[in-house]
Amino acid sequence: MTQGNSNVMVRFDRVSKRYPGGKEALSGVSFDLHRGEFAFLTGHSGAGKSTLLKLMMLMERASRGQVFVDGLNLNRLRPSQVPYLRRKVGVVFQNHQLLFDRSVYDNVALPLQIAGYSPADAGRRVRAALDSVGLLGMEKRNPIELSGGEQQRVGIARAVVNKPPLLLADEPTGNLDPELSAEIMNLFMRFQQVGVSVLIATHDIALVERLGHRRLILDHGQLHEGDVIAGGQYV
Amino acid sequence: MSEVRRKPVAKNADKKAQEKQSTGASLQKIGSRKRLSAWGAHHQLVAAETLLRLLKNPLASLLTWMVVAIALTLPGALWMALDNMQQFSGRFQESGRISVYLQPGTDVVQGRELAQRIDRLPGVAETEFIDADSALDDFRANSGLEAALDFLPENPLPSVILVEPPLQLPHAELMKLVGQLNNYQLVDTVQMDMAWLERLQAILDLSERLIWVLGILLALAILLVVGNTIRLAIAARVDEIRVVKLVGGTDAWVRRPFLYTGLWYGMVGGLLAWLLLIICWALLQGPVAQLAELYGSGFTLKPLSAGAAMILLLAAMILGWLGAWWSVSRHLGEIEP
Repeated sequence: MTQGNSNVMVRFDRVSKRYPGGKEALSGVSFDLHRGEFAFLTGHSGAGKSTLLKLMMLMERASRGQVFVDGLNLNRLRPSQVPYLRRKVGVVFQNHQLLFDRSVYDNVALPLQIAGYSPADAGRRVRAALDSVGLLGMEKRNPIELSGGEQQRVGIARAVVNKPPLLLADEPTGNLDPELSAEIMNLFMRFQQVGVSVLIATHDIALVERLGHRRLILDHGQLHEGDVIAGGQYV
Repeated sequence: MSEVRRKPVAKNADKKAQEKQSTGASLQKIGSRKRLSAWGAHHQLVAAETLLRLLKNPLASLLTWMVVAIALTLPGALWMALDNMQQFSGRFQESGRISVYLQPGTDVVQGRELAQRIDRLPGVAETEFIDADSALDDFRANSGLEAALDFLPENPLPSVILVEPPLQLPHAELMKLVGQLNNYQLVDTVQMDMAWLERLQAILDLSERLIWVLGILLALAILLVVGNTIRLAIAARVDEIRVVKLVGGTDAWVRRPFLYTGLWYGMVGGLLAWLLLIICWALLQGPVAQLAELYGSGFTLKPLSAGAAMILLLAAMILGWLGAWWSVSRHLGEIEP
């Protein structure tokens, strides 16, 4: 199960994904994402970005090839083990998947409750997570009262509250204006600075180019390494 | 404003994250005792939350509760009736005695002697000897045929020994006793009017079987009703289930609130059924006592015993839980993030 290089957070080894309809969303994708590395995943819509992220969460399973996350071979993971994989991976969605029948606090506390933290422990961590996204005063509010950018930050707080070693984001700035987008990206980079591996799927090329960092480009299911722009972390 | 406020606290969070990072992959490591207590706490929380949720919407919940209650009341009422009939038939067992008619012309001394011998037989509780003359006196006093009897040249009635077997003597033993009695020289015929008792017993057996059949059918109805209600509850919470699965909720975690909801449907339905049975009993008890009195019997209708009521309640809870389980296992798999 464990692979040799413990410095690797995510490894894709010639991964292909064919959906039942016959469409091949990914073909022979291989790459490594190291611990504490920050990378963007770009490409036209329908290029397979979401599929690639879903494979890491086991929301989909690879048709061919192998996916490793934190040393786990996902091909060999039994369905009963999937929840424990997902606790290692924080995910942020474009539509942020918040629950509007409960407060901001309860939304963020959900992963901790599931993982079996005591309410006192969970309280401390929830406040720390809300603090890190700048929403500490909004615990008791309902997410529906918040602006789009604030909702997205609640989603991020929920993704990081359990301190996962891997953070994935699917178009996290899709609905936001450029200024808010930059703010959200800054947040992600701060998590990278404390050792979290971050992979962000986005089609916001302008933002990606401005921020630098490693770039994985998907084109009709095929992966290319992008140029590393000066100032980026990847060498 | 938030930019200013955020910076220092973010640093704080960073520090915490670094602490975490230094412990490597141990992010999930929570002591097993702590985890167990959190698990227990979550059970309590979910139990309370689901009950509150049901009570918050009392009209919709009441519908399901009443269906469960009525489905349980029917077999419960039959059970109560059967229970009462059994004690009734038990009382009649006492009159299941055997009349041993002696040969005509048997004298009183011989008759008494035989009665004493029979009295010592195993399977005999009591004997009573009635000689022909006192039998005739009795008949004369009770039948209203005195005039006709006066015309008869001699006493037409035989002497008789009434033999009382002990209560609950097994049928085979009873038959053996009858055989033994038939073997005495002095005995003419042995008469045992047990046929109607046997018929009553057969009817009781049939009723018991009927209750089982009815009970099983109605239990299936409860499963379906609770299952369907839970299916609707699942449909109303699809988003939540998806998110929970996404952030690492196990199937057991997702199932838990629905199983508790089923348990509550069963439990409250069971309590309501109990209440309905008590109402039934209260309504019937007076008329039944009146009827019994007209027949000169002290029979009173007994309510369902506490033990039976507990069994009913337990069955209701198990059925509610099973209905929820059935529904959840069918529909939860379809909801994947």
